[in-house]
Amino acid sequence: MSSEAPPALDTHPDPGRGSYALLTAGVLCVTAAELLFKHGAAATAGVSGAGALFGFSVLASGWTWLGIAAYISASVAWMNVLRRMPLHIAFSMMSADQALVPLFAWALLGESISPRRLCGIALVITGIYVIARPAAQCKEQL
Amino acid sequence: MTAALLLAIIASQVCLVTGELLMKRAMDLTNETPVPWPRFVPRFAAAITCMSGWFFLWGGLLQRADLSFVYPFEGLSPVLVMIGASIFLKEKLTTRTWLGILLIGFGVALVSAS
Repeated sequence: MSSEAPPALDTHPDPGRGSYALLTAGVLCVTAAELLFKHGAAATAGVSGAGALFGFSVLASGWTWLGIAAYISASVAWMNVLRRMPLHIAFSMMSADQALVPLFAWALLGESISPRRLCGIALVITGIYVIARPAAQCKEQL
Repeated sequence: MTAALLLAIIASQVCLVTGELLMKRAMDLTNETPVPWPRFVPRFAAAITCMSGWFFLWGGLLQRADLSFVYPFEGLSPVLVMIGASIFLKEKLTTRTWLGILLIGFGVALVSAS
């Protein structure tokens, strides 16, 4: 490697189609996991006692365990994605979860999303997108 | 939104980021030969503890609030990583990073008032 080469940020310049499929699978698994967690938490709400800080009772619902399985699948997909493609692309895709989770919470769980909440979510998505490249550099150094 | 709820949300994100960074440190050690087990075990155990803390805090939050309310706060995790990098790695944050942090901050503030 030549000495004037820039610090390797994009070590995998050509990720290929398989990597994007895996990344999409990971994004969908995270979305599914969050919805299942919410479903399990709703089913056990009140069991932990009002105002309890830790929701240990979520484990009593089968939905939570399905959510854990989805979360583990997402982690496996994520680890393989990180091995194959630049971190900043993978990071930018985190903003897709920020859009999909509220969308399905509205469509499937019947949550009402006020215009104010919608604006907030849009700002968070933009922020993650803006921060993705520098965040990727930091994660690789930490 | 109560102060307790906000505190639980922030604590959950701090647990998540700390857990991820500890797990990364622990996993990096497994690449060494021989694996330095006395250094690996405490880091791995601390990572699992932090991640469990995140999971049960998150579960408690979902029992009390909408998913579309708490999920945007996950956006704080890259913010915490950047701030961690600037404190522990003495990195100077770029204008672009500050812009992202501001956007996420405003977004989360709007959501918390919704």
